[in-house]
Amino acid sequence: MGTVPLTAVGNAPGCWDRPLRDQSLRASPCAQHAAILARRVATLETDVLVVGGGSTGAGVARDAAMRGFATVLVERGDLATGTTGRFHGLLHSGGRYAVKDPVAARECVVENAVLRRIATDCIEDTGGLFVSTPWDDPEFGDSFLEGCGATGVPVAEVSVAEVLRREPRLDPGITRAFEVPDAAIDPWKLVSTNARSAAEHGARILPYHRVDGLEVRSDKVVGARVVNEQTGDDVRIRSRIVVNAAGAWAGQIAELAGCGVTVLPGKGIMIAMNHRLVNTVVNRCKPPSDGDIIVPIRTVSVIGTTDVRVADPDELEVTDGEVEEMLDEGEKLIPGFRQARALRVWAGARPLFASDEVTDTRDVSRTHAVLDHAARDGVGGFVSITGGKTTTYRLMAEHAVDAVCAKLGVNRPTATHEEPLPGSENGHFYTLGSRLRAREPVPGSEEIICECELITRERLVQAMAQRRPTSIDDIRRAVRLGMGPCQGGFCIYRTAGILHGFERLDQEAANSALLDFLQERWKGVQPILHGDQFRQARLDDWIFQGLLDVQHLPE
Amino acid sequence: MTEARWSVARVGPAAYDTVVIGAGLAGLTAALRLAEAGQRVAVLAKGVGATHLSPATIDVLGYDDGAIASPAEALPGFAAAHHGHPYSRVSVDLLRASLAWFQDCLEGHGYRGGLDENLLVPTAIGAAKPTALVPGTMAAADLRGGGRFVFVGLRGLKDFYPALLAGNVARAQLPGGRTVAGRAIELAPPLGIQRDPGPLGFARRFEDAGFRAAVVAELRSRLVPGEVVGFPAVLGVGGVREVQQELEERLGHPVFEVPALPPSVQGLRVFETMTGALRRAGGRLVVGSTVGAVRTSNGHVDAAITETAGRPIAYRAGSFVLATGGFASGGLELDASGRIRETVFDLPLSGVPGPNEPRLAREYFDDHPISRAGVAVDEKMRPVNGETEPVYENLHAVGATLAGAVPWREASGNGISLASGYAAAEAILGVPS
Amino acid sequence: MTEPVRASLDHCVKCTICETFCPYSRVTPLFPGPKYVGPQAERYRTGDASPDASVDYCSGCGICTQVCPHGVKIAEINSRARAQLWEERGIPLRNQVISRPSVLGRLGTPVAPLANWTLRNRPFRWVVERALGVHRKASLPHFAGRTFQRWARKHVSPASERTVVYFHNCGTNYYEPAVGRMTVEVLEHNGFHVVVPKQDCCGLPLQSNGNFTAARAYVRRLVANLAPYARQGLPIVANSTSCGLMLKREAREILDVEDEDVVAVSEATYDLCEFLLLLYEQGELRTDFRPLELTVPYHAPCQQQGHGIGKPALDLFALVPGLRAIELDTDCCGIAGTYGLKKEKYEISMAVGERLFALLRESEAEVAACDSETCRWQIEHGSGVRAVHPVELLHRAYGLEAA
Repeated sequence: MGTVPLTAVGNAPGCWDRPLRDQSLRASPCAQHAAILARRVATLETDVLVVGGGSTGAGVARDAAMRGFATVLVERGDLATGTTGRFHGLLHSGGRYAVKDPVAARECVVENAVLRRIATDCIEDTGGLFVSTPWDDPEFGDSFLEGCGATGVPVAEVSVAEVLRREPRLDPGITRAFEVPDAAIDPWKLVSTNARSAAEHGARILPYHRVDGLEVRSDKVVGARVVNEQTGDDVRIRSRIVVNAAGAWAGQIAELAGCGVTVLPGKGIMIAMNHRLVNTVVNRCKPPSDGDIIVPIRTVSVIGTTDVRVADPDELEVTDGEVEEMLDEGEKLIPGFRQARALRVWAGARPLFASDEVTDTRDVSRTHAVLDHAARDGVGGFVSITGGKTTTYRLMAEHAVDAVCAKLGVNRPTATHEEPLPGSENGHFYTLGSRLRAREPVPGSEEIICECELITRERLVQAMAQRRPTSIDDIRRAVRLGMGPCQGGFCIYRTAGILHGFERLDQEAANSALLDFLQERWKGVQPILHGDQFRQARLDDWIFQGLLDVQHLPE
Repeated sequence: MTEARWSVARVGPAAYDTVVIGAGLAGLTAALRLAEAGQRVAVLAKGVGATHLSPATIDVLGYDDGAIASPAEALPGFAAAHHGHPYSRVSVDLLRASLAWFQDCLEGHGYRGGLDENLLVPTAIGAAKPTALVPGTMAAADLRGGGRFVFVGLRGLKDFYPALLAGNVARAQLPGGRTVAGRAIELAPPLGIQRDPGPLGFARRFEDAGFRAAVVAELRSRLVPGEVVGFPAVLGVGGVREVQQELEERLGHPVFEVPALPPSVQGLRVFETMTGALRRAGGRLVVGSTVGAVRTSNGHVDAAITETAGRPIAYRAGSFVLATGGFASGGLELDASGRIRETVFDLPLSGVPGPNEPRLAREYFDDHPISRAGVAVDEKMRPVNGETEPVYENLHAVGATLAGAVPWREASGNGISLASGYAAAEAILGVPS
Repeated sequence: MTEPVRASLDHCVKCTICETFCPYSRVTPLFPGPKYVGPQAERYRTGDASPDASVDYCSGCGICTQVCPHGVKIAEINSRARAQLWEERGIPLRNQVISRPSVLGRLGTPVAPLANWTLRNRPFRWVVERALGVHRKASLPHFAGRTFQRWARKHVSPASERTVVYFHNCGTNYYEPAVGRMTVEVLEHNGFHVVVPKQDCCGLPLQSNGNFTAARAYVRRLVANLAPYARQGLPIVANSTSCGLMLKREAREILDVEDEDVVAVSEATYDLCEFLLLLYEQGELRTDFRPLELTVPYHAPCQQQGHGIGKPALDLFALVPGLRAIELDTDCCGIAGTYGLKKEKYEISMAVGERLFALLRESEAEVAACDSETCRWQIEHGSGVRAVHPVELLHRAYGLEAA
């Protein structure tokens, strides 16, 4: 089995705190009872308590820890399971906002360059294109050039012939094309490396810790009551400042301190297509609307997205209408898009902060806001950072921690724009072929567990040791397990077997992990199932239900 | 271990008596039955498929709202309750005959079992699955009598997790309150530089005496008296029975195979035996030939037209058997607009949800409305329009293409393939059913 | 046709069937298997530098595409990836040399006896292995000295209403002119006027060694010679089953050559046995075969299977009284064109073909039949059993053997 010792890694610096327990949701009666008896209240004291484990929260934790603050981050699920983990992975050049939202565009220009310095390992330098399809007004290209010029977005018009040579799948009827420095950024890697960096600077990162309430004393937030979702334990955290980086849920967190923050969740769906139909980020050159971006991210192409205001960021339904819309829009950029294989569809909720009532969420600025609740609501010790996008996460974090400094009366400048993230020290961008190259020259010399995503047993075991996963979904986020065309058809059984052996989970927990994954996966696959992917799903059904007969595992 | 597999070509060109489209178990069954009866048969397959994904067991009927102990007893009621199911088209007697024929055909595989009692055998994750007919390599796998089982994992075989298997098997609900004790052993047999040889790689290694000796040496001292030893289904290819025998002798314990993820070495063995027999009987197997079009006239199929590297080739025959499988094999397809189609003849389908009805349920393990869609047939296995009107008088449909079944949930896949393939052959031969 | 080949990867459901049938990944861990190298790795390629050198160990036998039940064009994906790889790295001299059989033929023919002796000289072969990378034991064919084209120029084909065009390929021309002669005689025996146009190499070895540019040039030149006949509706018959496949499909599908000439020729091309069988089915094949009391094992080359026409040679043999043809269920002989000549691949090639060689040795047959010349040479090298093109047996049975 793997050579990683079981006990040594758990509390090493840079790794996350996670007790070795199986999911309380599916734990056997004995385990639940034991958990209840073992229930205890732990207390933590810290300077800064960050609520939310997306890019903003992880960025805040890193910045605060680097500036010398004792920092704790709590996130109710696994890191990056909110909006950050659900977007298409576009590192904006700013081109998209150049015409309609110049402030946002300027921010993107600066931060794009910063991230290309500090987060190279998370970024594939795909470059970006804005193309005028036969459905777009070619004259908008002029406004586009103007807007880019005014906001500093590096742009160059290129010949259509050249673009079609580079990207042969694009609609040959394209009339104009422009190059910009868009790129693809891996959101999970971004968040996990920020968290790792924070931990290396002394922060404590606590996924699966849900904020149950904020402690307010004399109009000041002094801490939070937090529940460890895995054990059921309560944790009391005392803090000097709480930073609310809960994104689309920021309003819910603010309410716990009696503050009103209006966050309008803007739902967007995205579809991952089985292979890279394009190797460059492709945008429609027109005023921003639905389905006008295709991002090549890792081995797939993602098309997005829609924008529908919803009430609850936890209730995100993918409708048939939205799916059809995405496929139609994809067809306009790439003829034959509808015949290409779609792997899965999912939805995320943009955290749009509105100070007034707005109806169309697309009209809300994509830039961010730091809210000092002492000034706003008369509640001290509490700061919210909201709005924004992953491209500007670092800037948002910087502003949030600047606000923390101001409140605490200290002057400590940030260094997050200079210090490379762990793994990005050598300044090499991620390249698509890296996993393939890593298997050479004798590919048969290692066991490959997830073949679609080229994950070796060694890598998988390493991820399990680092993350202490309680669900196979956690591992999926760590290494992209089961994200390829077979959607886990072959690797999930193997993973359950390895997890069972590695974590000394009992077979019941291993069974649950497998069954839960199948249900989770189904949610993303079912709305888009037809053609090749349906054939795949049927083969997977045969494997799990026919061959393995998982439905008749012992209770 | 290798045997020279000679076969003398006794075929003539041009028209065949029967053309079978698809080389899964259903297609091969029909083809072999017909070839043995003296017909000139061609099997056209766009690839190799279903056998290599399946175990070699014949699951006749394992589940119908609970596990089934005796298919023979359960079938009449089941067929009556599921009017559109393939089992409502074949009599229990015919099913029995098909099983007997199969056992006979694959004599060297030592099949045992039958319609009267299902065995319970462990799956690769340790569920206890009912099945009717097992090859000799699985005879000792029957859990029904309880007992002590040890499962042997092989380092480098990433598709077998004996500890998880044993943990689950030990909790199996068995009839009569019997219990099974299960434990696991992991061996590290010599693999050389190839660290991920796959099931077939292991199977070839098991046909090497030195490899077997190493396995026996490592395992023998770790066994406890009275244990039955379960290996992953990689104990050899053509020579598996000899391998099993040798292991049993040298270990002093009964040995069996547990089928695991594709590629299925068990299925491969069945495929090789059946295609070898087909060849010897003068049948012709053309792999890599997709039937892209058909020629029909007046309710009669005249020819199946295959795509080749150059011009299409028409295979003319008196009878045709459609054995192209279900959605997983591409015999049926669901397109982006929700339309369901049978891909060779565009036959009318049964069990298709209405255009505005959902095809799939929200929960993964629920019954999905689309699952029973397929081709409905009469008792001669001929696709019908509506209830009884055959679409073509000389076309028969078999296997997973058929409507009304959800084989992976019922544990009925190979049983349906075998029975329907046999029934189609009998119908073509004019044997009164 | 670029996109359909790459886009066909979408059909892969990871069933692993291709890997089960690949004769090469079975014998070496250097080749991880067709599924890995084809539809799986293709998702990691951007069209630039292909990071996986292991794709070079794919032989191009094409068995994977034949057995794939979902329509993934695996071997074609591999071919393109290999070409990409060699474009990045630069094609080594050895591959440039061995992929130009017509050039070698022209060089060796005038000095055939000397060339043949030299190529069998052990020390010379050691040096060649060191310097060039052609394995010292790899079997190289004999230069015939007098080319088939030379015979054809002198030969006057009887006039007839029916005409057929003969594409003879490099192997026949420089190494086995007798096969060409027999092909012509069999066709003439069946009442055809046989035209042998000016022609050169079809470019297949260049394609399989990743030199797509040169391959395209060669195939276009060949097609330019053949197209006028194709446009007249005349059939073009090829006795080398792999070169025939090049014209039928690979030039279009792998090299993306879709010129009108290529399309016309591809639609007019027949494999020799395919053509003869079609004649039989139309009632136009002479069946005045004398008995031939022989047991002949028949090995269908991988590329012959790639035609998708079944095994017409077997059907033709069934027409010859006394001829007992045995359909071997073997897959690949291992030579894969030029693959088995290479130093680093020779052992793999021999391991792949070993089962076939063993069967033939045990069979004690006098002669085996096989439609591809490189396969025949490999069979003789590996088993010691003489291998002939099926047409040779038909020629003999027709009694056309010169006294």
